[in-house]
Amino acid sequence: MNFQGIYDRIRSIQAPGVTGMDEPREPNPQDKKDKGRSGDPYVLVDPQRLPEFLECLRDDPSLKFELMADLTATDPSKEDGYLWINVQLLSLVRKHRLAVKCLLPKENAVMPSSVSVHRGAQWAERECSEMYGITFEGHPDPRNILLPEDWIGHPLRKDYEFPEEYHGISCK
Amino acid sequence: MGLFEKQFEDNVLTTNVDWLLNWCRLSSIWPMTFGLACCAIEMMAVGCAHHDIDRFGAGAFRASPRQADLMIVAGTVNFKMAERIKRLYDQMPSPKYAIAMGACATGGGPYYKYGYTVVKGVDRVVPVDVYIAGCPPRPEALLEGLMKLQEKIQASSVIRKPIHTV
Repeated sequence: MNFQGIYDRIRSIQAPGVTGMDEPREPNPQDKKDKGRSGDPYVLVDPQRLPEFLECLRDDPSLKFELMADLTATDPSKEDGYLWINVQLLSLVRKHRLAVKCLLPKENAVMPSSVSVHRGAQWAERECSEMYGITFEGHPDPRNILLPEDWIGHPLRKDYEFPEEYHGISCK
Repeated sequence: MGLFEKQFEDNVLTTNVDWLLNWCRLSSIWPMTFGLACCAIEMMAVGCAHHDIDRFGAGAFRASPRQADLMIVAGTVNFKMAERIKRLYDQMPSPKYAIAMGACATGGGPYYKYGYTVVKGVDRVVPVDVYIAGCPPRPEALLEGLMKLQEKIQASSVIRKPIHTV
């Protein structure tokens, strides 16, 4: 199924939390500021309802997104008040893919964990949590996965400040 | 060398004994099996038949720091690993040597500016004897570094008073 078919199906089964979609488009020749957009089409979802949405897509017989291929986050800029959550879904049975994105406010970066739906989300959420400071509520094992346990700050945030030293080793 | 530690004047006997002891040490530098990143692949190549680090008596890679003389820090050192490196180095018996292999171990390498968890050179954690440039260095460069280390050991004194050079 192509993206339009998937999106129509998501709309017709009324999957929870869907707020919109975006597709790549050509730049507008009249408007110089409109550079267009490349990349994949994606579905925009409310982060607070992401697990329900994923569960709905997993259990739907014609979508069958039974594999969460990836869950990451991005911090586009210091001024922007939002983090992007990017989820890549894959259906091995139906042989199609889907990109899902969520906008999460930086001040209150709390969202429910998707581990109850896709167990493979555990490590991905742990990494997002330590790198971007996102709290995943209901995560069974919310420790750091890559950074040391006592690391201060979230390194992939744009407003991250490098530490002066760590355990007596200079960082500069 | 305990009792004879660096207290004799130069004469035929002591210089020859020193030469012999240094020769023993430099001809059997056993490195520790210790690869952290891509430099370790080059280190493995040095151990294989084509380059053959065994020609210098340094082919016996030991799996325990207690049996090793040389720590080849081959790769990127991050803060989580730095404490383990210090611990492993402390567990090695004296005389012990360390080689910083490649740009990362020497000074942070490509991670110098934005690598938030990369130590900017392993010399901030353990004393380094030889630095090898390259990213990663060729196997020949590691052999060159080993030969430099052998020169350094050859110049050291075990029972003689150390030679003070300016």
